[in-house]
Amino acid sequence: MLQMIVLGIICGLLLGFVLQRGRFCVVGAYRDLILAKDGRMFLATFVVIAIQSIGVYALNDTGVIQFGNDGFPWLGTIVGGFIFGIGMVLAGGCATGTWYRAGEGMIGSWVALFGYMLGAAMTKYGVWKVAGDNLLSYRTNDTYIHETLNVSPWVLVIIVTLLVGILVIRELRKPKLPIFKMKPKKTGLAHILFEKRWHPFVTALLVGLIAIMAWPLSAMTGRMFGLGITAPSANILTFLITGDDALIDWGTFLVVGIFLGAFIAAKGSGEFRWRLPDMKTLRNNAIGGVTMGFGASVAGGCTIGNGLVNSALFAWQGWIAIIFFLLGTWVATYFTIIRKQKQAAAASKAA
Amino acid sequence: MAKVLETTGMVCPFPLVEAKEAIADMVKGEELIINFDCTQATESIPRWAATEGHEITEFEQIDDAKWRIIVKKGK
Repeated sequence: MLQMIVLGIICGLLLGFVLQRGRFCVVGAYRDLILAKDGRMFLATFVVIAIQSIGVYALNDTGVIQFGNDGFPWLGTIVGGFIFGIGMVLAGGCATGTWYRAGEGMIGSWVALFGYMLGAAMTKYGVWKVAGDNLLSYRTNDTYIHETLNVSPWVLVIIVTLLVGILVIRELRKPKLPIFKMKPKKTGLAHILFEKRWHPFVTALLVGLIAIMAWPLSAMTGRMFGLGITAPSANILTFLITGDDALIDWGTFLVVGIFLGAFIAAKGSGEFRWRLPDMKTLRNNAIGGVTMGFGASVAGGCTIGNGLVNSALFAWQGWIAIIFFLLGTWVATYFTIIRKQKQAAAASKAA
Repeated sequence: MAKVLETTGMVCPFPLVEAKEAIADMVKGEELIINFDCTQATESIPRWAATEGHEITEFEQIDDAKWRIIVKKGK
């Protein structure tokens, strides 16, 4: 038990810290593709996938970790992915983003987090279980893309790594924007850890390494998976209500660690403060949280579990989920932001 | 005359969305003071200003998780 707590918390602390300092936000990355026509953060998510794929297949080859093989629940992934995408725009952050923003003192994220735990627990154990199980029952035989293509996973690892590498180099070669920086008030390590702007690719590299590390650390406690947020979030709430300690595993301490790590990072850099949004945002956060909980449970993972981990394994589920996360994000962004911008623009023209 | 945009309490991407809207009605050289408390905007607002060619004349953290940035409209 002690080993589980320590190994989970360590991984979570590191991840929460890096996400907060790096301002790593998956919903922002997906949303900015259409809202700001900016693909830099989206590319950063693929840096995480590429690095992690190398690490996890190396660990798999040496026998340290093994991957599951129970088919691709295509209908759940499609439906759940789309719903999750809508939910995370309303919630103002993906599942992990919600955990770490709660650590920054955002009350809206606490509301979204509770909704997320509730939605996920209802789908895993409660009144929505019937719908969830039904959607998850449609499965293909193949779990992995390389299985279907009948090639070694390394073929895909190399292709993706090369592609991401080329795009990263192209991005880094672009003329540097003269971005204004605040005057540093700290020096040395304190400046790097608690003040400096981190380049998104550096953050992505660190997230990728933590995601690799998660596998053996989690495996040591008998849980054979990498980073995962949804099941632990559902399980914490269910554990609190039922007292069933079988629900506690490495993942529980991972998510608690993310929260604490983000809190330490925010506190250390003067970025922690209790912040209350307006009523409409709170309402959206609550709806978004529950929606996200249902979506992630049906899709078999959130933007971390599916979007970064299953995708790095080249599981069909991960890649198809990314497509539907994107579609859901875009639809919600259109209705919550873009349409209003267009209406405002039209109104100011008419005036 | 500088225009003040209060976005404290708004979560991302709304401080930036509001800033874009506010600056659209301004003339070149006019300044927009944006108060915000969404951490991610410390990244997105300076980046947007640089991309759009607006000048930043001041950017300060005024309190725990509170920032003020002054953007001078470029074009």
